Amino acid sequence: MSEALGEAWFSALGAPLGESERAEISGYLLGIGLPGSLPVRAASSWREAAELCRHPADEWWQAEEAERLRLERSARLDPANAAWLQVTERLHGAAAVAAARAGCADAALIRVAAGSATYAAYQQRLAQAAGSPSEHPFLRKYALFCGGRWPLGVYEERFAIF
Amino acid sequence: MSAYPTVKTIDEFKQQPAEYQDAVRKIVRSHALNELYGAQVFDEPAIQLAPTPYAKWLSCRVAMEEYHHHVRFKELADQIGVRPEEMDTKNKRPLNIFELPLESWEQFCVIKMLGDLAEILQVEDLLHCSFVPLRNIARTTMPEEKFHAQFGLDFCVDLVETDAGRDKVQRAVNGFYPEAPKFFGASGSKNNAIYRKYGIKLRSNEDMRADYMARAKSTVEPLGIRLPELKFDA
Repeated sequence: MSEALGEAWFSALGAPLGESERAEISGYLLGIGLPGSLPVRAASSWREAAELCRHPADEWWQAEEAERLRLERSARLDPANAAWLQVTERLHGAAAVAAARAGCADAALIRVAAGSATYAAYQQRLAQAAGSPSEHPFLRKYALFCGGRWPLGVYEERFAIF
Repeated sequence: MSAYPTVKTIDEFKQQPAEYQDAVRKIVRSHALNELYGAQVFDEPAIQLAPTPYAKWLSCRVAMEEYHHHVRFKELADQIGVRPEEMDTKNKRPLNIFELPLESWEQFCVIKMLGDLAEILQVEDLLHCSFVPLRNIARTTMPEEKFHAQFGLDFCVDLVETDAGRDKVQRAVNGFYPEAPKFFGASGSKNNAIYRKYGIKLRSNEDMRADYMARAKSTVEPLGIRLPELKFDA
């Protein structure tokens, strides 16, 4: 679990997307049963990211949840584990630092970002605990977070990422 | 402010009268369990009920903060000799407030708005606690508890913008609020008298309950929401 503490969380928000990131996104979408060819919308600010994720994204969310529930049939994690909580605090700190650098002091939005990273980190741990292969969509999404991105989900047939 | 001397460390705690130690253990155990129950039955399930990723991820973060509060209190409980079986939600029956089935996002927002307000009062009462390690946890968790209550209020403000939303919030208040004042314990409580005798807590259950009901009223009335009449109302 300590590997999560050393990652560059939220350090590449708004930067141009690379080919490897686009490939990761395509693989992630295919892995959760959505078209890998969905257009990508790159958010350029915290405000834009907030506006996007204030919209419903039920199809995407339910696609992820179906996979989470499948994995939880073979692996369970304790949300009150002290080491895990240390990771979640680190994620909140990283979100706060990135927001501050961008001039964003919205405590709720910082928690939203931290919550999304926490959820992704939980999914990654779950996938690993269940013995999933390295191309599992939760591991691909986690890789995007570890690369400093904030994947925002699928809105109006487009995959959004900050 | 209490005249009882401050108890700064676990070693000093162990030198206090048995009645003091038992009183502190009861409070720490209660907070540890309540934080865990709240995270398990309200905060974590709310992630699925939230309408957007924004609200889901915010709920996720709030759930983790509540779990962290539990861990902080549990660590202290371990240090002061609370038995592990007393900290297991399988062995301890929860307060009635935690037996309300969570069925809607509106209900969760009301629970954060009014339930966490009750928690704020409980934590406020520990900010000058004679047992310094417990005081320190109260001071650490207080900003997050305030954020959680504000989170509930902010979402309720959005919800009541429509008549349908206001009706849902009102129904959720009607379902939750009647149990909330019981969170403060019985009037004339012997335990509470002991807590005040040792400066562990400052206020009587009756005083805190009355304060809570007044603050709850002033919280919901600007939203066009009414609190149901309760037998506690004088």
